[in-house]
Amino acid sequence: MANILIIDDEKDIRVVLKEVLRRAGYDVTLAANGRDGLEKLAADGADMVITDVIMPGIDGVAMVQQIRETYPDMPIIVISGGGNVAPMEYEPGAISTSAYLASATIAGANRTLTKPFERQELLDAVRAQLDA
Amino acid sequence: MAKRLTTLSSRLVLIVLLIHAVLLPALFVALSAVVKQNMADSFVDYARVQGRLLADGLELELDKPQSVLVAHLDSAILGGRIVHASMQHSDIEITSSLTTQSDLATFNEDFEFGEHDDQTYYLSLPVVSANDTALLYLGFDESLTQDNFEDVQRSIILIIVAYLLIVIVAMIYLSATMTQPLNWLQRASRAIASGDYHKKLETDSRLLEIHDLTLDLERMRSNLVKVNARLRHAQRLESLGTLAGGVAHEFNNVLQPLLLYTELALEDLPDGSPIASNMERVLELANRAKGLSKQILTFGRLGDDVELTVMPVTPVVEEAVTMIRALLPANVDLRVDIDSGIGDVRCDPAQIQQLVVNLCNNAFQALVTSDAHIGVSLMSTTVDSKQAAQHHNLHAGEYVVLDVTDTGRGMDAETVERVYEPFFTTQEVGEGTGLGLSVVHGIVRRHDGEISLNSKLGEGTSFRVYLPRVVVAGNNEHEQR
Repeated sequence: MANILIIDDEKDIRVVLKEVLRRAGYDVTLAANGRDGLEKLAADGADMVITDVIMPGIDGVAMVQQIRETYPDMPIIVISGGGNVAPMEYEPGAISTSAYLASATIAGANRTLTKPFERQELLDAVRAQLDA
Repeated sequence: MAKRLTTLSSRLVLIVLLIHAVLLPALFVALSAVVKQNMADSFVDYARVQGRLLADGLELELDKPQSVLVAHLDSAILGGRIVHASMQHSDIEITSSLTTQSDLATFNEDFEFGEHDDQTYYLSLPVVSANDTALLYLGFDESLTQDNFEDVQRSIILIIVAYLLIVIVAMIYLSATMTQPLNWLQRASRAIASGDYHKKLETDSRLLEIHDLTLDLERMRSNLVKVNARLRHAQRLESLGTLAGGVAHEFNNVLQPLLLYTELALEDLPDGSPIASNMERVLELANRAKGLSKQILTFGRLGDDVELTVMPVTPVVEEAVTMIRALLPANVDLRVDIDSGIGDVRCDPAQIQQLVVNLCNNAFQALVTSDAHIGVSLMSTTVDSKQAAQHHNLHAGEYVVLDVTDTGRGMDAETVERVYEPFFTTQEVGEGTGLGLSVVHGIVRRHDGEISLNSKLGEGTSFRVYLPRVVVAGNNEHEQR
């Protein structure tokens, strides 16, 4: 069965995503941050990557860029909570997460999902990407 | 070189003084000359008439002894103005014993007043009788006339000085009445520039320029107040959107595992178990929370946006109205006036429908009496630059106008000010989310439109939404033919 690598700095989300995907029959590997995720990907490989976009250190957009360098055909789904966040740099104002998702798409993400999504939405997206 | 700045009043004083420095001496000189000429003329006339009278008297006595003639000359001198009287009669020189001025040898006839330094006007007259002739020499005293003339000159100077004083006083008064309101305007505009612009500008000056200037400045000030209020309002909504968006983000990250765990738990539970029905309730509530979060994001324009597409707006609004009719109680009077074929707008139809529904729902909540009604109208309009200036997000051009009105309870100023703020509601806690109009505001902004409202307590409220109308260039069609 396909092996999916999930990268999210929020433990609650990582764990529940793993459980949802495990029940659907996928093998799941978890990573708590971008560096960890890239290391696990290099060591064990994966059939698909699901990554959060707003993370300390390497964020989702940088993740997509780095994964694409080595794995041009890797299916990548980027997820993010709707709304906005304070920018990473010390810029005034706030950046909408949809702007981050748009950047991730430009960087090469195959699909984006805005939290909160339902189980079926996720499973449909995963299946569609693995079949493609 | 820096331009030297002077005050208006000092410049005014300088100009007036300069004018008078030239004008007044000239006036003095001219007046003196005229008066002097006049006085000299009458003196000369007097002297000639007197001289003639004397000569006429002597004519009759030319054949009388010399002593008679002397007595005659003496009496002329005693008459007052004559200081010299003598005669040349057949080579004999007869001189009055009272003569004080000059002797005949140096006698030099005058033609004009003041020709001699000794203040005497000399005149010679022929004395002709039937068989004899003589020459009469007379000297008239000029000093009295001279004194009179100097008196008049002094009077002229006095009048000029008095006039100058009046001018100075008038100038001080004038510059005060003129510059006082100017100074006041200057202080007022300085206050406005430094941010204190809440005091109304009024003047009781009756000078047209000052009056107009004050009116203009007041118009500027009140505009500034309006623009500032609008800006503050927009900034407030902007920061509320940012804040709400930040909260929504965190909220969504919590909601995600909540939703998924509930779905997993439901999967594990046998259908119909009491735990399952409770978990289903949890799922329902989590979905409601998700809906709320979505509305907040719509207000902040942070939702995952559907592309806007150009489409006719009438069917979109008509569909929304059909939906509202179904939602509202049957006894609510909903008056609809939708122009057909008013053109296209670039929109997300679902959001436009939500906008109409939310506005109507808001109107419905405001209804209090049974005869109240809700009005929905849709029409096209052309916004001119004057209208555009009155709204923050309106530009001159073609628009579609959606009006939603109610004859409900209306709103007070404080409510109007805060009406688009998320979670601001006048309803009882739990009855409304306070998101309806926030969502409307977000949708309007996303569509590059503008929303305005008019409300009167006890009379009702009307919302007006402007959406830019997509106008196909007129010559396109033409070229295709």
